[in-house]
This record gives sequence, structure tokens and C-alpha cells, in this order.
Amino acid sequence: MNAQPYIPPGVSTDMGVAAVAALDYDAELMLRVKDGDGTSFGVLLEKHRASVIHFTYRLVQEQAIAEELAQEVFLRVYRSRSSYEPTAKFKTWLFRIATHLALNWLRDEKHERGQERLDDTSTDLPVRQVSDRRPSVEQELVYAVKLDEVRRAVAALPEKQRAAVLMHKYEEMEYTQIARVLGCSESAVKSLLFRAYETLRARLAHMETT
Amino acid sequence: MSCPIENRNSEMLVAYAASQLDPEAAGALERHLADCAACLSIAADQTAVWKALDAWEAPPVSPDFNRRLYRRIDQGMPISWWQRLTRPFLLMPLRQALPLTATAGLLLMAGLLLQHPVSFTRAAAPLNRVVRAEQVESTLDDLDLLRQFGAAASTESGHPDAM
Repeated sequence: MNAQPYIPPGVSTDMGVAAVAALDYDAELMLRVKDGDGTSFGVLLEKHRASVIHFTYRLVQEQAIAEELAQEVFLRVYRSRSSYEPTAKFKTWLFRIATHLALNWLRDEKHERGQERLDDTSTDLPVRQVSDRRPSVEQELVYAVKLDEVRRAVAALPEKQRAAVLMHKYEEMEYTQIARVLGCSESAVKSLLFRAYETLRARLAHMETT
Repeated sequence: MSCPIENRNSEMLVAYAASQLDPEAAGALERHLADCAACLSIAADQTAVWKALDAWEAPPVSPDFNRRLYRRIDQGMPISWWQRLTRPFLLMPLRQALPLTATAGLLLMAGLLLQHPVSFTRAAAPLNRVVRAEQVESTLDDLDLLRQFGAAASTESGHPDAM
């Protein structure tokens, strides 16, 4: 993958390389990696590891696959260090790679197994024990059922909507940043999120929070 | 304020549910929600969605994630043994790294001692030889002195052997 992030039409490109590097400490660290500083790569890894893994996990909903994808993300970051140019925030570039890999994996998986995995009821949720009447276990079961519903609702979203929601909700990314990651305009991101949240409201709004 | 739904500005309701609006904007929207049932319904539903998504926690990251990653990186490039040895400590805060480095150093020394005990025995061997040579010389001197003492005693007593 090219180290330079794709800048979609309509997205501002007036930030120069130096300006991005000055504003984004991560970009500065990545430039040090480019100069051969392995320690800076370790710092970037520590800082972004969890968020990348959590993002890929919520996209593919399998922890082992999510970690493999995250490994590939950081491997690509390291291998493309020599051609890195900070034309956007480091996190934008990182999540662009992560989204690209995860969506590709989902497409391959979908092609191979259809929606079998998403419809599979044997998730990693605890086994129901109907005879056990202890409140804590009941609460756990209720939580597990609700969590399963959330996971299914998110998994049922179209891929780009799903990625947009996850970046917006869990990474607190701005519309502009999500647009750069997904390679679309800011208005397209607003549209994606509008439809995604509309679907989620229809499926999840009835849920009482615990 | 104008109705977010009529203005196709539903992201404002999403931002409100996520508590991302500044107090002034949130206050204005709340005044609007008091009069607009449609916006109030969306805001309430969006808040429920937000809380439902909040409950979805990702599992913890595997402890060997970094090790696996560096192994894969190492497969593609040459790396010195020193870099391989020191890299885990470079990622830690100083407070953690110092005791661990000290422990690693002690373990390394202990390992060297256990692996090469013969060399230390050999190093001690010449000293033993010197000590033994001195002991032998001392014993011979003592024997010689005893012999001379015995000879002198027999001369004084007129023993025939001494003649």
C-alpha cells in the first residue's frame, strides 16, 4: 500500500507536509522511524495498538482475525517507512490501512462462507443456564443477550457504514478524518452515518441499558 | 433554533446523544426538544443506541502481540543480537525497565557461570599446585631436619650406627 494517504475529491489538501508533522506528534515519530529510529516505532505501536485491534475486532468480530489484521497493519506501516510522507494525520493513514485490510478480509470471507458466520448462534457468549436463578448470573445472561444483539446489529450494516460508525463512535474521529480514511467526501460520510444510525435506532433503541 | 430534522442536520442530534455538543448548543437544542416531538424521539433513540454501543467492549489484547509482530518484522530484515536483546526494554517506562535489566544481567551472569564452571576450576588449579609444592618442600625440609637431629643424637650417645 502506498504510504501516502488517499485524499478524496473535495477534501482540503492545503496542509503541507511540514504543517502536518508539526501538528501531529505521531507523524513526527513516524518521520523518526523513517530515519531509522526503531524506538519511535515502538512508541507508535504502544499508542495505537489497542485502538487498531479493537477497531478490526468490531469490524470482523473475531479476536484472532482482528489481531492478525492488526499485525499486518503495523507490519505495513514499518515496511513503508522509507516512503512515508506526512500529508495527513498519522492516525488517518493507520486507520486507512486497517480499514482496507479488514474490509478486504470481510469480502473474502463473505465470498467464501457467505453470511454463515454472522448467522451462527454459537458465539463466544456464556452458555445459558436456565435452572440457575442467581441474580448475578441472570444479569450476565441479559447482558450477553443484549451484547449479542448489538454485535449483530453492527454486523448487519453495510461495510462502509459499519466502518464509519466504529470510527465515529469508538475512535471519536471527525467527519473529515473518516472521509479521508474511507476515501470519500465529508458529505458522503454524513450520509453514511445518517443511514447507519437510522438502522441502529430501529434495531437497538428498544434496549434498556444496564 | 431551527429544527435539525427539517434542516437535514440530524448529526446535531447524534452529537447531542454523544454529549459532544458544547453547553450553549446543547441548551438551545434542549429548548427545541421541549417543543418538537420528532426530534425528541430521535434524540432519545440515539441516546439508547449510544449506550448500547458503549456496552460493547473489545477483548483484551494478547500479551504476545508485540513479540509476534517483531518476529514478523525480523523475518524480513537483518537485526543484531544486541537490538533483539534490548528492544523489549526500550518500550518500557524507566521504572520498570531498570529492575528488569538488572535481573536480566544477573540471570545472564548466572547462566555464564553455570555454562562454564570448568574454566573457573581450571583457573584455580595453578594455585593448588603452588600450595602443594610448598607443602612438599616444607615436609622435605622437616624430614631433613629430623634426619640431622637423629644423626646428632646418635653421635652423642656413641651409637655404632653413627660411626
